[in-house]
This record gives sequence, structure tokens and C-alpha cells, in this order.
Amino acid sequence: MIDALAYAVVALAGVAVIWGIVTAIANKPPGKAQLLYAAGVEAVTLVQSIIAVAKIIGGFRPAELATTIGYLIGIVILIPIAWMWANVERNRFSGIVLSVAALAVLAMTLRLLMLWIPAG
Amino acid sequence: MTDLQAEPTGSAGRRTSTGAGRVLIAVYGIFALAATARASVQLPTRYDEAPLAYLLSAVAGLIYIVATITLARDTRASRRVALIAIIIELIGVVTVGTLSVVFPEAFPRATVWSLYGIGYGFVPLVLPILGLAWLWHTRPDAPSPESVAS
Repeated sequence: MIDALAYAVVALAGVAVIWGIVTAIANKPPGKAQLLYAAGVEAVTLVQSIIAVAKIIGGFRPAELATTIGYLIGIVILIPIAWMWANVERNRFSGIVLSVAALAVLAMTLRLLMLWIPAG
Repeated sequence: MTDLQAEPTGSAGRRTSTGAGRVLIAVYGIFALAATARASVQLPTRYDEAPLAYLLSAVAGLIYIVATITLARDTRASRRVALIAIIIELIGVVTVGTLSVVFPEAFPRATVWSLYGIGYGFVPLVLPILGLAWLWHTRPDAPSPESVAS
């Protein structure tokens, strides 16, 4: 984990959460820009997980190794699944589905920051 | 996902898997993933530390999986299974939440339901209530002629 990158993911995901709520209030399905933005958040999240896994392979041992790896894998599948789920039926709730996924990415990144302490 | 035009519950207005139901299913899916992943890490590696807590995480994960699938399948039969699963979920979170307050020593390790799901922003406590409300909201009011026997 790189702290600056993690906080970037938190901020980017936070914007995605708000964006989904805004389009839902406006009673619109997520637009192209919003979907592209979600893809961008996913890309940064994926980079974060790849870097973290590389560090683990490189010898870093977090205290909760299995949990950390579970989070690093789980966090990258949320937005793609939400993306597909939101596109099957496009309405205001599609945006909320993307918000829910982004909120989970945000929470999991914060949790990963807490988990990222070397094993004693 | 390809049978959106089909009407397994008899009326388009009574589907559990459309509209706000999609958000509910998404949240259930995330909790299915979270609780199951947690249990599958904890049960094989550290069962002895807190067997009750880890078994409860596994049970919670299973219930979330059942609720996710049955709400998404959206048939008459799956509604019934969803109702049972969500009632068990509500009983589970209230019971485990209360026990973890009264007998904290029985829960040395957290589960999704400990302290009413405080570790997950109390979503585990609100989720079954929303689930029951959604099943009520989408209930088939009057028995409608069924083209497909369920």
C-alpha cells in the first residue's frame, strides 16, 4: 500500500458515491461520463492492488496476511460487477448501485490502510 | 438476467429484482462477499481462537448468499426462501448484537453481527428491515392467474 495512492482512491471513490446519488436525485440513469469515471476509479483501484500484491511478493508481511490478500482481491471485483448490474436495467437506481460499490471500495481501502502494518 | 420481460411473480409492479430492489440486491451481494470471505479466512486458520464468532460469520455469509440469489431470482418460490432467510438474518443480528453486549467474553473476535453490526456502519441491522419492507412492498396483493405453475 502507498498512502498517497490509497487516499487518492478514497477521494476518487467518494466522488463516485456522490455522483451516483446526484443522478438518482435527478432521476436519471448514469451517463457515459459517469460510467467512464467509474471505470477510472476501478483502474486506480486495480493499480493499488497490483502494487500491494507486488510488495507482498517482494517480502512485505502484513500482520493479517490472508485477510489483506482477500481485501486486495475483493476490492477490484466490486465496481465491474456493479457496472454490469447497473447496466442491465438503466434508471435512477443504477446510479445508486454504482454508489454502493464505490462506498465499499472506499471503506475497504481505509481498512487496508489499517491492515497494512508489518507482522510483529 | 435475460428474462427481464418475463413476469414470474405475475405483475411487473411486484418484482423484487427491479428498481430499488437492484440496490438492495447489490448491498446483499457485498455482504455475502464480505461475511463469506471473512469466514473462509478465519475458520480454517484460527478456529480455536473464537469458534462461535467464526461459525457465526460463516452462517451470516450463507444467509446473505441465499438472500442475494433469491431476491435476484425473483420467483414465487424464491420470494418465500428470501423471506425466511431475511427473518433469520434479523433474528441473528438482534440476538448476536445483544449477546455481544451482554456477554462480550463469548465474542472475543468480531462477526458481522457483533454489536449490531457496528463494524459495518450498522448496515447489518438496517438491511433485514429494508429487505422485509421491500418484500412487503412488492407482495402479490391478490392471487393472479399463473401462466406458469411454480
